[in-house]
Amino acid sequence: MPSPPPVRFRLNGQPTEVAVEPARVLLDLLRDDLRLTGTKRGCDLGTCGCCTVLVDGRPSLSCLTLARLVDGREVTTIEGVSPPQGLSPLQRAFVEVGATQCGFCTPGFVVTATAFLRDHPHPSREEIVRAISGNLCRCTGYLKIIEAIERAAAGGA
Amino acid sequence: MHLDPFELHRPTSVDEVVGLARDLAGRFDYLAGGTDLLPNYKMHLNLRPHLIALEGVRELRGRSLERIGAMERLADVEAESALLAAYPPLGDAVREIATPLVRASGTVGGNLLVETRCFFFNQSQFWRQSLGFCLKADGDRCHVVPQKQKCYATFSGDLAPALMAVDAEVEVAGADGRRRLPLEALYDPEGDGIRRLRLRPGELLTAVHLPAATRGDPGAYLKLRVRPSYDFPELGVAASGALDGGRVRRLTIAVGGAEMRPVRHDSLTAALVGERLSDDRIRALADAVERATRPVHNTFLLPDYRRRMVSVFVRRAVERLREGTAG
Amino acid sequence: MATGPATDYRLIGGRIPYVEGPLKVTGRAEYTDDLSRPNQLVGRLLRSPWPHARLRSIDVRAARELPGVYAVLTGEKYPTPFGVLPITHDETAIAVGKARYIGDIIAAVAAQDERTAERALALIRVDIEPLPDYADPRDGVGKVAEPIHARGLNGSNIQKEVVQHFGDVDAAFARAAHTVRVKGTFAGVTHAFTEPMATIAEATPDGRLTVWSATQVPHYLHRALSEVLGIPMHRIRVIKPEVGGGFGGKSDPLPHEIVCAALAIETGRPVKILFDREDVFYTNHGRHPTQNDIRIAVDADGRILAYDIDATIDGGAWSSFGTVTTYYNGVLSMGPYRVPNFRYHGRRVYTTKPPNGAMRAHGGTNLRYSVEVGLDRLAEATGIDPFDLRDRNALPPNSTTVNQFRITSTSFRACLAAARARSGWDEKFRRLPYGKGIGLGCGFYISGSNSPIHFTPVMPQSTVHLKVDMDGGIAVHSMQADIGQGSNTLLAVIVAEVLGVDLARVHVQRVDSDVSPVDLGSYSSRVTFMMGNAAREAAQQLLGQLLRAAAALTGRPVDDLAVGRERYWSRTDPSVGVSFEEALRKAMEESGALVASGAYRSPKLGGSFKGARAGTAPAYSFAAYVAEVDVDVETGVYGVSRVWAAFDCGRALNRLAVEGQIEGSIHMGLGQVMGETMSYRGTRLMNPSLLDYKIPMPQQMPKVEILLVGDDDPEGPFGAKEAGEGPLIATLPAVGNALYDAIGVRFTDLPITPDKVLKGIDQRTKEGRPWKGA
Repeated sequence: MPSPPPVRFRLNGQPTEVAVEPARVLLDLLRDDLRLTGTKRGCDLGTCGCCTVLVDGRPSLSCLTLARLVDGREVTTIEGVSPPQGLSPLQRAFVEVGATQCGFCTPGFVVTATAFLRDHPHPSREEIVRAISGNLCRCTGYLKIIEAIERAAAGGA
Repeated sequence: MHLDPFELHRPTSVDEVVGLARDLAGRFDYLAGGTDLLPNYKMHLNLRPHLIALEGVRELRGRSLERIGAMERLADVEAESALLAAYPPLGDAVREIATPLVRASGTVGGNLLVETRCFFFNQSQFWRQSLGFCLKADGDRCHVVPQKQKCYATFSGDLAPALMAVDAEVEVAGADGRRRLPLEALYDPEGDGIRRLRLRPGELLTAVHLPAATRGDPGAYLKLRVRPSYDFPELGVAASGALDGGRVRRLTIAVGGAEMRPVRHDSLTAALVGERLSDDRIRALADAVERATRPVHNTFLLPDYRRRMVSVFVRRAVERLREGTAG
Repeated sequence: MATGPATDYRLIGGRIPYVEGPLKVTGRAEYTDDLSRPNQLVGRLLRSPWPHARLRSIDVRAARELPGVYAVLTGEKYPTPFGVLPITHDETAIAVGKARYIGDIIAAVAAQDERTAERALALIRVDIEPLPDYADPRDGVGKVAEPIHARGLNGSNIQKEVVQHFGDVDAAFARAAHTVRVKGTFAGVTHAFTEPMATIAEATPDGRLTVWSATQVPHYLHRALSEVLGIPMHRIRVIKPEVGGGFGGKSDPLPHEIVCAALAIETGRPVKILFDREDVFYTNHGRHPTQNDIRIAVDADGRILAYDIDATIDGGAWSSFGTVTTYYNGVLSMGPYRVPNFRYHGRRVYTTKPPNGAMRAHGGTNLRYSVEVGLDRLAEATGIDPFDLRDRNALPPNSTTVNQFRITSTSFRACLAAARARSGWDEKFRRLPYGKGIGLGCGFYISGSNSPIHFTPVMPQSTVHLKVDMDGGIAVHSMQADIGQGSNTLLAVIVAEVLGVDLARVHVQRVDSDVSPVDLGSYSSRVTFMMGNAAREAAQQLLGQLLRAAAALTGRPVDDLAVGRERYWSRTDPSVGVSFEEALRKAMEESGALVASGAYRSPKLGGSFKGARAGTAPAYSFAAYVAEVDVDVETGVYGVSRVWAAFDCGRALNRLAVEGQIEGSIHMGLGQVMGETMSYRGTRLMNPSLLDYKIPMPQQMPKVEILLVGDDDPEGPFGAKEAGEGPLIATLPAVGNALYDAIGVRFTDLPITPDKVLKGIDQRTKEGRPWKGA
């Protein structure tokens, strides 16, 4: 088999070129090939939301995104939404209110909520609840996650 | 989990898609948002050696009050407040599909053509093998209704009943050119959970057309499911209509999530044209739709319960419609 | 020792963000699957598609010959049985002789990549003789055609039977003014943590084996690896990376962990086994499907005279914690009440289904639901308010139960009072309109199993080591397993509190059996109490060394010195004092780095009868929850809108973590009430996915008000007790009883799905009963 043609895309701001076969999803490319392990594999079937990344700014399930189809796009992972030093205001809010427990779902929530707050800087609680209703958390009962997003929104106002 | 190898095609025009479809005759699947197809592929369900990715075909895009391209993302449709207000069942339905993350990738066309579901089908290769497979994939019998050589997998899209209720049409493109047909004509009443569409081989769904005649008509789509997110419909009921001076000018009911295809119950609503929408008439209609709907035991909630909910949901949807008119 | 007045803590009782939070929110926390070793292979498991089958032969030749395959293992290579309880070793790493459920491991492959491994699995030919399968535990209580395990009682599938009788139950029922009988049916539920199991193992040429694994019990894994693989423990190193949730699902040594190590030994290369979500469901060890039959007798004043309890517990294919489960389903029914007469007959029966084990509030959840529904009915029958009924039956502090549990602290009555007042109970109960209801449920749970699982060697339940060197950072070592509940943070908080230093100085080290002293792990809600005490003791030792140095520097006697923030100072002359770092440097002059070790040994508790130790704990938590529900009476769909959670965890050491545990417990409890179910048709699990296993969504979460009313426990660290499991229990009956208040229907078959709600309403209507009780 000839090696597959490369995919060219921007990954966390940097131009990236990597050979990837068609039957490979973005999650596997990120975690296994590029060693960006912040994006988590929870169910691999598009349910849990642990693998959420941004594709052209839009939250996307990387386990259901063919890697070849990000050709020419901008992919941002949890590593990319985190500042080089310290934490983003949203991340700080997650830490302060205790919105992490086991932390496995956390990168997915942070990526989802980062995009959500960018588009809805002054959300209602109901909007927040809807926005995170595609990410599963088994530890927190979601309440502190909602509180963290509210806090980040209030701080950013 | 991994995907078995396939060849990926990335056409940029409908003509190119049609050509590819002809060349690959039957050995391909269309890939729209991937949120339904790729989980099925990961579970090794009916794999094909070629995927034709539609995301690069510009003609499949576009949102207006008249037309929604088949490759429009559900999340983008969800953001079109004027469109959703013009067709209330569509608004109710699109907001309730799966999860925000699925809607971010999932498409209008994908939801209309979503694979039918059954808990003997939507399982891994291992699981299905341990049972001896089923009619819909790799096997020769149905575990839901074993005495029949027929697949009872449930149609689980939300948009279809909502759009059927507002008289939407779909446009398809194929080797014989393009054609438009009423949305309900897409689903084969003679078919089953496997052979369920009346598309010709290789035909591609390109767009949904929304008629001016029903624009602004009140209506609703009500969805039954266990959780307010994630779950496919265990039942979905759409109602749309118009009243003139309190009398019915137009009334449609469409039911999804209950049988192998979404069903529009025109024969049951026809008698109400010209009549007032009294509580009794609504109740009689609701009961009639319930009698005409026969779910089987292949989803989470029991079929008796789902069937019983048909009349409740029809009544509530029509009451919402009536209130919408009054307001 | 000078630590200031008990209420004057600097950190304890505050809201302390988790120490690893910054790593988790940035994706930098390392879970097992985030790690990889050079030259690593992929391990995959062949699972049985048969519920019960004799394995006549397994032909692995074609699989072995496939290029890219490095090892294929079947059960005979490592046949030593193991299990979390030493008395019930009935598992093997890979099935030997028989497969016992759909999903049982019958072979394993190590290959260069996932696809090759799966191709190899497909080449394995297994010749079997099908055996009868057993889906329903009731079919296994007598002699069966083919016992699932040879150890089944008298040719049956009974794994464990418990018969206990204290007092005279029949006499008590004979003189009772009111009795009630509740027959409860509970579907199995599972942990459904977000991180699938993952293990990496590497055998190195120096004769050592290193295993990284997502486990709650690194010590028990360490023992099981040693026993099954025949390698001394000192040549095995167990490392626990971050764990993405456990809830009991990672609290057994699991077969795949041993298989992974065996593959690493076979191949000489590192091997990783990562589970698909479906594998997680088959591994299960979730809450047992249970049928209980509970009778309660009370006198005319509503005072409990007796319990008579029968329970049939569906064990699945292995014992796991099942012997404990069987006891718990009886003995944990009594607290928070005084029950003078008690009889219990319980049996846990093997079935050919995925094994059940310990899940959050293990053994204390299903029976509690039936008891609390029974008490609600008795309150109605006696005309006594449900709060009053419970209040007059509350176990007093410093008492002993009829089965000789030692009760020290209890703030149960304060829980009742707080929940009643805050919820507006007296204005709402039986007064809300049809479809709306309010209900009370209570809870009781162990704060750490008093008995260690292993009695040899005799050793403390928890040990904590501290090391402080010239950098002034304090390294904390312990094999306690933080699985998200915040035990690392608690360790740091306790050490910093005692020493008076900033939290940032304290570095809790990753669990690594080479350097971490033994703590038995995260199960039975034992960590805060046991590790907390060990940590406190270690820190106090270290403080002693620092205060002696401070005394030498200041010329003040040690008992005149007080601990301030980063400072030790004289009580008689507050201007005299030294900084932590000055004291440290002085103390290091002679010894170099300071080290200290603390340990927790559980007291001797319990009676001398058989099974007396089951359920004994150095302390117990108590709860009183009120839930409000809103029912759509046409569809049966309902929501829980409010929960008032009054909980006695003694002193809350980290309020943030306690709240998190309570909120998460309510969520998990609601799941079991509202829709979570391990759905079987026969022995086949129908819903092994997160789409079909219905974890509640954020829209389903009620508004939660947490009321922490506990008094200090006399033996808990700083007065603390558990808050990790007990908070789940009361959720279920509070909702069940609220549904009764809303629609006049009693539900004893969980989960309570909308179809059951409608059926209940139909039945009530048919019987012509009013929706509000008489």
